[in-house]
Amino acid sequence: MDDLLQEFIAETRETLEALSGEIVLWEAAPADRARLDAIFRFVHTVKGSCGFLDLPRLGRLADAAEDTLAAVRDGRRVPDGALVTAVLAIVDRIGELTAALDAGQPLDDTPDDFLVAALAEDAAPPVSPLMQAADSMPGVPVRAAGRSVRLGVELLDRMMAGMSDMVLARNELARRLRDGEIDPRVEAALDRLSATVAEMRDTVTRTRMQRIEALFSPIPRMVRDVAAPLGKQVSLAIEGGDVELDREMIELLRDPFVHIIRNAVDHGIGAPEARRAAGKCETGRLSITARQSGNQILVEIEDDGAGVDTARLARKAVESGLLTEAEAERMSEEDRVSLIFAPGLSSRDTVTALSGRGVGMDVVRANIEQLGGRVRATNRPGQGLTLTMHVPLTLSIIPTIMVGAGAQRFALPRQAIEEIVSLKNSAVRIDHLGAGRVATVRGERLPLADLGTTLGVGGEPTVLAIVATRDGHYALAVDAVLDTEELVVKPAAPAVMASGLFAGQTLPDSGLPLLLLDPGGVAAAAGLRGVVPAAAEDDTAEEQGLTTLLFDDLDGRRRAVALAVVDRVEKVAASAIGDTGGRLHLSLADAVVPLIAQGPLPAHSVTLLRLTDGASEIAYAIAEAQEIVSLPRAIAPARRAGIAGVALVAGEQVELLDAHALFAGEVPMMDCRPLCYLRSDGSDWMDVFLRPVVEAAGYRCVGSEAEAHGASVTLAMDDDPVALADEATVLLSRQPATGGRGIYRYDRAALLAALATRTGKAA
Amino acid sequence: MKDLYLIAQIADRGVAIDGGLVDSVVDIDAIVAVPHAPVAVRGLAALRSRVVTVIDTRVALGLPPSAIVHRAVVAKIDGHHYAFLVDALQDVAPLDRRPLPGGHGGEDGWSRGGTAMVEHEGEPLLVLDIAALIPVAVADAA
Repeated sequence: MDDLLQEFIAETRETLEALSGEIVLWEAAPADRARLDAIFRFVHTVKGSCGFLDLPRLGRLADAAEDTLAAVRDGRRVPDGALVTAVLAIVDRIGELTAALDAGQPLDDTPDDFLVAALAEDAAPPVSPLMQAADSMPGVPVRAAGRSVRLGVELLDRMMAGMSDMVLARNELARRLRDGEIDPRVEAALDRLSATVAEMRDTVTRTRMQRIEALFSPIPRMVRDVAAPLGKQVSLAIEGGDVELDREMIELLRDPFVHIIRNAVDHGIGAPEARRAAGKCETGRLSITARQSGNQILVEIEDDGAGVDTARLARKAVESGLLTEAEAERMSEEDRVSLIFAPGLSSRDTVTALSGRGVGMDVVRANIEQLGGRVRATNRPGQGLTLTMHVPLTLSIIPTIMVGAGAQRFALPRQAIEEIVSLKNSAVRIDHLGAGRVATVRGERLPLADLGTTLGVGGEPTVLAIVATRDGHYALAVDAVLDTEELVVKPAAPAVMASGLFAGQTLPDSGLPLLLLDPGGVAAAAGLRGVVPAAAEDDTAEEQGLTTLLFDDLDGRRRAVALAVVDRVEKVAASAIGDTGGRLHLSLADAVVPLIAQGPLPAHSVTLLRLTDGASEIAYAIAEAQEIVSLPRAIAPARRAGIAGVALVAGEQVELLDAHALFAGEVPMMDCRPLCYLRSDGSDWMDVFLRPVVEAAGYRCVGSEAEAHGASVTLAMDDDPVALADEATVLLSRQPATGGRGIYRYDRAALLAALATRTGKAA
Repeated sequence: MKDLYLIAQIADRGVAIDGGLVDSVVDIDAIVAVPHAPVAVRGLAALRSRVVTVIDTRVALGLPPSAIVHRAVVAKIDGHHYAFLVDALQDVAPLDRRPLPGGHGGEDGWSRGGTAMVEHEGEPLLVLDIAALIPVAVADAA
């Protein structure tokens, strides 16, 4: 009998947990037969078991609820707010009584009659309006009540540790057996053992994982319970319930999470009248999203309430002595918003029954930080508040790809890998670009980092992993891609994590510890521009400035021009451009417009920006249009005419064209001389002897590879091992006409003629 | 009141380590280096199913690195397991903890790790505070 009772208790509890969301969903959509059936099944089961187990009190409650629900099912009653509240009260009472039974405590003897009476059709009308929960999630399937047992996390931990030991012992055994002659029967047994161990490991590992849904399922009910007494209406949208998190993590997140939600409903979302007055829909919106992002789980709780009155918050902080007047003055808006996490400060003057008690936001933050996570507030004054919790993947299982660098191996989160390509692949090219390198993979240019060099472990890269970070892609050169494995990653010691390169440590089947790389951290350590570590993610949310077209100019620089000025981008034949009347002009079908070029024009076709101020038009020759970007507000002043300033786009300096100066004709004649790269052989000969001659002939000369981008012609000695005899290179030989590859270096006429043919310039 | 101390040999000197801190004494096998970690972090090692951070005790004390890696004392500090390399382990004994004699300046590293002394078989030994040997994580800019 005792066993049966225990089973009843466990099952009732499980079902109750699963049910709490269903009831609210049913209330939102009373016609939803599936939910009604689920609740009906529950009370029906309880009633049946109670008769059998001789629990008359529980039985009577369940019986009453069943009657009422049956009437609804038959269409004799309409489920209104009062009815739902009454059914909820009964379900709650069943829960309380079950808990008391479980704990072996005497049942409290408050009479249940009023609960039963509330179910009657003529019971007192509801006191609060209904919340309109979760219209947005009609497709949630009815959960089947599963049978389960509760286990301490510590026990699971021990199981996990034992499992890992077992794997290591198996590996060791396999190694030893391989050393000698192996009996096929022993081998077969070992194989079977291996398979079983692997399967067990999966199962045990999974016992620690739980869908974040476990955290989410009580929310609809909770939101309803908070909103109803305050007369508020809230519609709830939940997304990402299938994200898996460590069980322990979910438990630890529960309190902070509940508090944040209560706060959002209580303080964030206003009463219907206030919302109407603010021009919003009467029903507030609360959306909760979970997603995995790199090595973190992000939970975002967004309301469309009034947001935080940061000015008042700062004032209160000053009043309470937390800040001085001057400090509050100097604070950025962002810092002011984070004052909501300061102890003893509430953005509200009155404390309500619900959110006012218990933990404050300071405790929420402390709790989350204790888990190694962080929480941040993004305020949209008058529009709402978004709280984002970042929780590390601690103990979460993540699929990884093992890569080799030097003599070591590392794991990379699989999710961050877009693609793996061999360096031997013809679609891959590596170029030096200034101090850094870029990889071109099927036409896409990516900054390149070499894992071995970045970590200082050496190695010979043969493979490129295209890594996605929140701030863009980059190519990571590794020696080899070895394997894929699902790993349980744990945080490493602070001294190991401090470099920011790693996301955690793990013990794979090899029995050798393995470090999980943080792709963003690796990019940062490699000094890649345009790829910044994950922590800076939210800076993108800052206010954006001018919308511009980004392009590569003829002189090789990256520039931007206000999009509003650009009429169109087009390609014209080089013959349409003439050096007439002392400057460049572009001939159009019916007119001639001034053309600006900041570098040598290409020989055949020219890409142009046609700029207009509404009345007149000018053309601007470019190398290649890139993309449309919003420039940040912060623009550094420029010293050069024609350039309005310098802005940072994806970590790269970009010159913003001064449209005003362009149309005012203030741009000086640009240097249109062809660029000539003197590839020195290490001696000064080129600089001393050659340069003056070439410059006098109307070329611009540069002597380092870093500046050579966009060069029309390269001059190199014919014994230079790297120089190629291609159409953009003129080779020079040290001896006169001995059948060498190049032109004799003192043959001035031939040299200049060769330069002229290469650049299309009149000799 | 006597406490249990582990008597170990580090850089030809005997030291005493508070037995209450010590989880186990192990033989360290393979160590995986950690790029960009403080020098005193020798690397990571697997201890049964656990990953431990191996601290080169000699480096932490400001001495040249240990030539041979063999024995280590494992302790759990702030939720992480560390293995501290020692040259040899001599004894475990209940000993009396005493303050360091006045005027004891000590060399740099030793004075950081040494907090008190005990007397073992007539020989004074420095009580090494192993927690103080863990390199402090430099605040990460990110």
